[in-house]
Amino acid sequence: MSDLALFLVRVGFLAVLWIFVFSILSVIRADLFGQKVVSRVAEANAPVVVSAPVIPAAPLNTPAPTDTGGIPTLDLEGSEPQIIASKLSITAGARKGQELRLDRREISIGRADNADLVIRDEFASTHHAKLVLMNGDWLIQDLNSTNGTYVNGKRVGTPVTVKIGVPVQIGNTVFELRA
Amino acid sequence: MATKPGTQSLNTAAIGRIIRIVPRSRNVEAALLIFALGINAYELAQIQLSTIAILRSDIWLYWLPVALLSLAFHTLLRMRASEADPILLPVAVVLNGLGIAEIYRLDLARIAQHQTNLFAGKQVVWTCIAIAIAMLVVFFIPNHLFLRRYVYIAMVIGAALLLSPLVPGLGKTINGARLWIGVGQFTFQPGELAKIALTIFFAGYLVTRRDSLALVGRRILGVRLPRARELGPILLIWAASLGILVFQRDLGTSLLYFGLFIVMIYLATGRAIYVVVGLGMFVTGALVAGRLMSYVSGRINAWLNPFDPVNYNAIGGSYQLAQGNFGLAHGSLLGAGLGGGLPQLVPLAESDFIISSLGEELGLAGLFCILVLYVLMVSRGIRIGFTHPDDFSKLLATGLSFVVALQTFIVIGGVTRVVPLTGLTTPFLAAGGSSLLANWIIVGLLLRVSDSAGGAPRAVSI
Repeated sequence: MSDLALFLVRVGFLAVLWIFVFSILSVIRADLFGQKVVSRVAEANAPVVVSAPVIPAAPLNTPAPTDTGGIPTLDLEGSEPQIIASKLSITAGARKGQELRLDRREISIGRADNADLVIRDEFASTHHAKLVLMNGDWLIQDLNSTNGTYVNGKRVGTPVTVKIGVPVQIGNTVFELRA
Repeated sequence: MATKPGTQSLNTAAIGRIIRIVPRSRNVEAALLIFALGINAYELAQIQLSTIAILRSDIWLYWLPVALLSLAFHTLLRMRASEADPILLPVAVVLNGLGIAEIYRLDLARIAQHQTNLFAGKQVVWTCIAIAIAMLVVFFIPNHLFLRRYVYIAMVIGAALLLSPLVPGLGKTINGARLWIGVGQFTFQPGELAKIALTIFFAGYLVTRRDSLALVGRRILGVRLPRARELGPILLIWAASLGILVFQRDLGTSLLYFGLFIVMIYLATGRAIYVVVGLGMFVTGALVAGRLMSYVSGRINAWLNPFDPVNYNAIGGSYQLAQGNFGLAHGSLLGAGLGGGLPQLVPLAESDFIISSLGEELGLAGLFCILVLYVLMVSRGIRIGFTHPDDFSKLLATGLSFVVALQTFIVIGGVTRVVPLTGLTTPFLAAGGSSLLANWIIVGLLLRVSDSAGGAPRAVSI
């Protein structure tokens, strides 16, 4: 090979190595610079709370108590199964009245600090259950918890579809999905 | 629907499979892995083109086995640990491939001089064995807490591995250090595996003792000293690492174990006093050893004055170190190109001095790239420890990553004259089966732990 070609191969290899490094850096960019949290706030025209994870006490824009009745406002129950639930609303327990906006990612539920839905309750396990979106349905999977997960009053073993408006109980906390 | 703990015993049998949707991170890993394998092929092709000017078909021997096994590893992760970290495997494959390529390049130089001791084939075989064993680790360890049951067994295994080179008949002394065991032609460096066993032991031990280490004890001169029952193991480890220094004649290994223990105590208790006292103890011990033992003072002397003719010409002096540095200088900024330098002039260029061989052929730009790859690997490991909810796993993941980091620092620091040169292997790069095996097992364990870490913290939370 000519000297020029060898030079290009040589410098090209260094370039390829560094491109590899930078493609890894772009994969972990969210770890380095933090995630963007813009969209959630922008689309929050509904009375939805996205508040700090640790202390549930008095977020500024908690929805008014009109929303906390829970069950009376269930007008969507069963009638429109096509609609994918977009939020999770807590109807009983220490966090009654709070809501969690759902996107397509799975939601882990439990006592662990890094759960998406932290339930501080002695009847909840550390990794109690998770909600997974599959084919347009939210499924709840009990993760072998000690005290079980109850959908519509029945303890579930295998993954179960959670319809909109059906109460799900974990420990002393009851929540339901809403459109 | 009240939650009554007594009423729901029979339902557990009905619990079905746990839903697992293969997350995006596995596809990221696949893309990076294919990129990594492409880099490996590039290196080998470049070496053949620049040294023998043609592409020969034996290039497949050095590329294909590793490529197939790493793709198999990726497939296994898809099935058994789908939420594991996507960065570790591709980075390990790139580093391992760079090592194989450089060793192959040195083999070509040896063939040109009609020498017969070749290493690249062995390195490929050991890489395959190591990846296969890492796959077994991921496959057979059901979860990270499994290891916690075997904490004291891990201690016994670690101590046995560490001391096994001292057993008469079994141990072997190579280049002055008694770090190997050998049966016939076959030699193995058990200390490499001991570091994993000891990390498991330290993690398990410190998880149960962290509170008493951090909080209990008498105050002397404003410093809270731990009680004897907690201080005992620290003194034991100190004595053991000095024992390695004295009886196995290896500064690097003893620094590695002691450093590992000090960092894990610091992680478990959060008290900087352990780091200060620990470093003080090690430096004191090493200084005393330097006075009493000629090989330690020789190493320090070679480190400070490698170009002094007295050291350069002495047997066991600074010849190797100086040659390595000449190689790095020859590499300059962009390097001589793979296959373009003269790394074979350095003794042990394929193992202890692989980093100066790579530095000569890839230059400062390539050497920094290698260092960044190590930083990425270690930072992923530390991040796994940081995000993991369980304390044992936190300590385990951070400890394992720290071992890789410290070992890399000691070796590369030694070659580049930041610290005195010691005989440790460069993780993933250097020729040698024990080191590959240990480091791939570390990768396997980190992947297993990261699968249960729960991924990146979400922005959404109530």
